[in-house]
Amino acid sequence: MAKGKEKKVKKGSGTGLIASVKKYFSDFGIAVDKGDWATRASLLIMGAGFIARKQIIKGILVTLVEALYILVFAVYSVPYLSKFGTLGTVKMEQTFDPLTMQQMTNDYDNSFLILIHSMISLFLLLVFVMYYIHNLKNVYRIEKEAWAGRHVNTFREDLQDLLGKKFHITMLTLPTIGVVLMNILPILVLVAIAFTNYDQNHMPPAALFTWVGWSNFKTLISSGGMTITFGYAFGKVLSWTLVWAILATFTCFIGGILLAMLIQSKGVKFPKMWRSLFVVAIAVPQFVTLILVRNFFRDDGIVNTICANIGLTDFFKSIGLVGANQNYIPFLTSKGWAKVMIVLINIWVGVPYQMLIATGVLLNAPKDQVESARIDGASKGQIFWHITMPYIMVVQGPALITDFVRNINNFNVIYLLTQDVYTTTDQMLANSNAKEVDLLVTWLFRLTNEYYNYKMASVIGIIVFIICVVFTLAAYSKMMSGGREEDYQI
Amino acid sequence: MSETMENNVSTEVQQSPKKINVHIDEGKGMGMKKKNAIGAVLKNLLLAILAVIWLIPILWLFVTAFSTNPGISYSRFFPEHWTLDNFKRVLFLPDSVLQYGRWFWNTLVISVFSCVISSAFVLMVSYAFSCMRFPGRQGMIRLSMILGMFPGVLSMIAVYFIMKSIGLTNSHIGMVVVYSAGSGLGYLIVKGFMDTIPVSMREAARLEGANELVIFFKVMMPLCKPIIVYQIISAFLAPWSDFVFARLMLNSGISSDWTVAIGLYNMLDKTLIHTNFAAFCAGGLLISIPISILFILMQKYYVEGVASGSTKG
Repeated sequence: MAKGKEKKVKKGSGTGLIASVKKYFSDFGIAVDKGDWATRASLLIMGAGFIARKQIIKGILVTLVEALYILVFAVYSVPYLSKFGTLGTVKMEQTFDPLTMQQMTNDYDNSFLILIHSMISLFLLLVFVMYYIHNLKNVYRIEKEAWAGRHVNTFREDLQDLLGKKFHITMLTLPTIGVVLMNILPILVLVAIAFTNYDQNHMPPAALFTWVGWSNFKTLISSGGMTITFGYAFGKVLSWTLVWAILATFTCFIGGILLAMLIQSKGVKFPKMWRSLFVVAIAVPQFVTLILVRNFFRDDGIVNTICANIGLTDFFKSIGLVGANQNYIPFLTSKGWAKVMIVLINIWVGVPYQMLIATGVLLNAPKDQVESARIDGASKGQIFWHITMPYIMVVQGPALITDFVRNINNFNVIYLLTQDVYTTTDQMLANSNAKEVDLLVTWLFRLTNEYYNYKMASVIGIIVFIICVVFTLAAYSKMMSGGREEDYQI
Repeated sequence: MSETMENNVSTEVQQSPKKINVHIDEGKGMGMKKKNAIGAVLKNLLLAILAVIWLIPILWLFVTAFSTNPGISYSRFFPEHWTLDNFKRVLFLPDSVLQYGRWFWNTLVISVFSCVISSAFVLMVSYAFSCMRFPGRQGMIRLSMILGMFPGVLSMIAVYFIMKSIGLTNSHIGMVVVYSAGSGLGYLIVKGFMDTIPVSMREAARLEGANELVIFFKVMMPLCKPIIVYQIISAFLAPWSDFVFARLMLNSGISSDWTVAIGLYNMLDKTLIHTNFAAFCAGGLLISIPISILFILMQKYYVEGVASGSTKG
């Protein structure tokens, strides 16, 4: 029953959203308009309506929440929000006080604390307003129920509801608070910082920073003037990020399927043993394997020694893949080699995972289709491309999207393989602290962790987010059909 | 293609009394068998080669951990002389940088607490979204999917600042909060599994007067055992093998605060690599052992859980 409704909403989700927002506020209007004195009194004292309906404890609790919020707003929010427009004006100054023989610090503004606490305050305000509106509608509903002579819940029954009809509230409250704290709030702060000049020249508490509008975004995409290198670096890093994400996703995906099929195919002895051998390679954490592998492929490392001994280095030299004045293969230190090596090493890291997943998918694959195709005389290739692959794509399609997004943000592989190893020779990239092998995320990480350039890092973060969202939504809308989940709950 | 077809046809023919046909079929069957046998050998050989490629770095980790040479060997794959001193040093002889026992303990504590909290969160959210119908459910699911697209790595600066403003950087409580607070968003696989459990199970319990809490613990939890095992193991492994957040949050430079990931990374600082590489390998090997065991245990659940979750999510 809910299914049909949800589908309808999805079809016209644009108008559906506006309509539901409209209804949200109009319901509030009706409650104010049609409610009796007690309901209207709840506009001021939120628990009044409940108390009038003999829901005394609930009424008192709700009023207490209101009082508490007003107190928090006055004591905590107002001092920060009042400075939100400027992010502080009083710079920190230290003066020597001859009386106490101590350095005295003035009552300075800390831009960052103002920003962060203002965001929290605004968020609390939003939550409170929503709660306030919801509360009034609730009061009005109870008024109508009381009028109609229906039973009005006692406090005890309300509590019992939290384990029954309203169990979802019990289950979702704590996780939601966690998500607000760890996901929503940071995103809001990140977006805010992108519009300030928070960098190493404006570091609180010693200095103030302030709003600068869109200028950081302009710095990133502009191609002229003093800021030329940022636009240049952004173009380079972005294109490598996308190339990398496509290569990494598809090589591991295809590799995983092929490996899973190979292990499962007829004639292979001990499939479980083979699977476990590959799993051992990923059981060692990435921060161990990747650091290990990067030392494996050092310029003076063991692989280079072996390559030199068997003459591979000279061979590469003769066909021009290694510079004439180098007597080693620059696996991770020259641009081209490093990019190829990173993709190869990522295959090494990623294929076992994909193999495990593909194994599960293939085990569940419909066998009768394959069988009937075989009887009809389809070749192995035809069966693979026309039956197995479409099935895998239906099942694994959404996971492929997540993998792509994850690879755009694949910090570990790039950072652990290239940090302290790869140095760029491109002066324009170096000017903006980027390298050829950087992904947007590793660039962002170094901008913050080493160069304290928070404003540009935030801008990059927002852009990566937009890329991920646009890509995901586009891909999902092609692949997914809404409300499928209930089809399986028989 | 034609081969398989003929083979099928001839199997039928085989049962007929005509001798000639049987003869032809035998010849073909022999050819097929030979081809299959060669194919099987080739397949096993290919797998062996691939397995070697995948295991060489692991083997290098293993043998270097037993090397008497404390730095990197540039010319030999296997060490010249073997010793257990690296393990002794890592486990029992801490110095100002290398405090492996301490790191191991930190990592274990952080991982266990994060694992408990985030598994609980995931199960709670999954139950609410899969088994309950309430207004705003679809909206919350959609919002959570959009939030889930925002990779944690990107907002980490902001996370760092928020934690700093409440004084939780360089603190293990802070690490637990970072790892587990947002975990409710990772409900998709578990919810996918719960979606496959027939509603009738819950309805029956409801008719007998059980409230949702009882259904959650007494009906759903036992039915979801495989996916819960998967969830718990992966919730444990995530902080156990995390690098980036630990690197960002534990930046005090005080060795006793570090987790294994940060410790091992800092051990191989440019100036230290020639004295610490073998010890690094020993440490890396030690932290991999529990994971390997968990991983091999989890393999089955991983295959079942992820496959069913992704079909039905």
